[in-house]
Amino acid sequence: MTQATSPDTILLNLASVLILLCAFACLGSKLFDRYLGYYALQSVLLSAAAAIVAEKLDSPALWALAVLTLLIKGLGIPVATRRYLVARLSLKRDAAITLGLSTSLIIGAGLTALAYFAMRPATLPGPLLDTAAVPLAMAVVLLGGLCMVVRRHTIAQLLGWLIVENGAFLGAITLVATFPFIVEAGIFLDLVAGVLIMLALVSGLAQRLASASASDLRRLKG
Amino acid sequence: MTLTLAILTWALPLASAIVPWVGTRARGTGIAVAAGGAGSLAAAITLAARIVSGHPLKLLGGLVYVDSLSAFFVVTVALVVTLAGWGSYSYLRAEEERGELSPLQVRLYGTFFAAFAALMLAALQTGNLGLLWVLVEASTLASAVLVALEARATSLEAAWKYIIISSFGVTIALVGTLFVYYSATSLHLSPDQRLTWPALFAHASVLQAPSLRLAFLLVLIGYGTKVGLAPMHTWLPDAHSEAPSPASAMLSAALLNTGMYAIIRIQALTTPELGRYANDVLLIFGFASVLIGALFMIGCENFKRLFAYSSIEHMGLIAVGLGFGGVIGIYGALLLTLNHAIGKSVLFLTSGEVVLRYRTRDASEVRGLLQVAPLTGLVLLLGTLAILGSPPFGVFLSEFTIVRASFAGQASWLGFVLLPLLVVAFVAFARTTLGMVFGSRQGRAAGLASGSPLVGAVPLVAGLGLLLVLGVWIPGGLNELILHSMRSIT
Repeated sequence: MTQATSPDTILLNLASVLILLCAFACLGSKLFDRYLGYYALQSVLLSAAAAIVAEKLDSPALWALAVLTLLIKGLGIPVATRRYLVARLSLKRDAAITLGLSTSLIIGAGLTALAYFAMRPATLPGPLLDTAAVPLAMAVVLLGGLCMVVRRHTIAQLLGWLIVENGAFLGAITLVATFPFIVEAGIFLDLVAGVLIMLALVSGLAQRLASASASDLRRLKG
Repeated sequence: MTLTLAILTWALPLASAIVPWVGTRARGTGIAVAAGGAGSLAAAITLAARIVSGHPLKLLGGLVYVDSLSAFFVVTVALVVTLAGWGSYSYLRAEEERGELSPLQVRLYGTFFAAFAALMLAALQTGNLGLLWVLVEASTLASAVLVALEARATSLEAAWKYIIISSFGVTIALVGTLFVYYSATSLHLSPDQRLTWPALFAHASVLQAPSLRLAFLLVLIGYGTKVGLAPMHTWLPDAHSEAPSPASAMLSAALLNTGMYAIIRIQALTTPELGRYANDVLLIFGFASVLIGALFMIGCENFKRLFAYSSIEHMGLIAVGLGFGGVIGIYGALLLTLNHAIGKSVLFLTSGEVVLRYRTRDASEVRGLLQVAPLTGLVLLLGTLAILGSPPFGVFLSEFTIVRASFAGQASWLGFVLLPLLVVAFVAFARTTLGMVFGSRQGRAAGLASGSPLVGAVPLVAGLGLLLVLGVWIPGGLNELILHSMRSIT
């Protein structure tokens, strides 16, 4: 174990817990604006977590990632999604949820426990930057997946995937500090290109189907 | 020189992306895409010959790494790109003549087909597992545009399912890659090297076992989503049936193999520490896929979906071959990879001809193809026999090798489980396609499939010819390449 008393570690743990809470908040919400808001908040917290690690390890590459995270995930993606989809299609309430909110929250709690079980320090020996954050990151990945499964609206699924991605990123910065920068940059490029293509697909679907809910996507079967 | 060849394999297809934007329409785009593929194939074969007779190519600390396994997959994918590129020419010409595709759609097709091909070929030639991930995810994105190209409600739906499920899966693979990286933290390697396959492979016996086990599971689920291993296969039939047929061929015969390549790389890392753990996991997923593929083929009336389920079955078989392991198992798996890639390209391109002619994907509306279009009918008949593993085609030889591997190992009963599943697949598949080939001509057999049917037939006949050759004779060079590939991962 690292010393839990160092201020960096405490801050990092705090940020990780708040990131997990954002995922829970997203899971427990029904309004598209809220989804986006929680995602933006989560990304800002993630950027802060990256900055803490960057400060601690004195790594310029990680500083760059923290700034990129803030600009792209904290600002760019939520604003673009709101302006080009949520506002334009005047989406308010997500009616396409297959599971009651409280049930999905309980399942979410179970998944968090599972993440702790799978990632407990005994199974992952060795020098960690911070032991508490890794299971939290895994829990965020699982919760994002749960969001994608429970929600049928394409925008909600897109946000679920983005939460999964945030979880993977949190895992990356706490588990191994950083991948080589060229890889991190590539991951960011993929993320941006992916979001752009998905936004185009969602607006195409909205035109064709008059709603962009995946619950209407049931023509292809068998 | 070797480096130049390696760059040419992906740069030539990529260069063809420019052509649609300098004014030419379907014709020019089609020719460019086909030429890019052919050039890439020539470079790939030369590259493979040099790698086999020399050393692996390793540059920039492993960012560029081409060994025999990479070369084998590069040749396979480049072959598929060549066949599908040629098929694209017919597809684009025919659709443009009918006015089904706007100039913008033709441009998008040319650009993203080229990008898709180049990204896959580049992904196979990096030793950096992170960069591999980046390129695989980018190829998902490029191919999703192809799936959505025809802009029907159903193709948009398929593209959405494809991109969201695959991206989720691939993100899981990223977490897996993270744990691979982490499993090497106690080694004295620079951060770059901890993510570089040859360095990891050299230290495979001192990687941390618990982290590695987790890593393999996550990577298998993640890249397995791309491969279409059950139960992560749900996007596959939709995307394959809705994409334009040459793009379906690329998905089925090239993209799935790229995912499998990533799994093989990580599996090779686990063997010294975890023994047969990875093999057992591969066997489970492989058998599940063969089962799902075979069962869903029963009563499947959409022939492109049928081919897609057959891809799931074959990917399952490849996983089973890798799971059996040993010289025979891996040899069979790699041989099946190549043969399935050729056979499925031929079938999907044939399905494209049928769709152009009948404007339907419903097998029950297609009858008497042998009379309506003798050449297409004959190719569909022979392609069916080839892909289902009838002798004397190459798929038979590879499936036979995989089944033999089960009898060579301890678990020979698994081979007996496999055989009835293959029979189910055979009957279900053949029942549908033979109904299309034979029967009396009826219904809406529309006019000509494409402006130049002979041009469209070239990749079909070439592919079938190759399958036939591979069934009776494995060229010495190919044999060397496969044996070297096995040596580079064991």
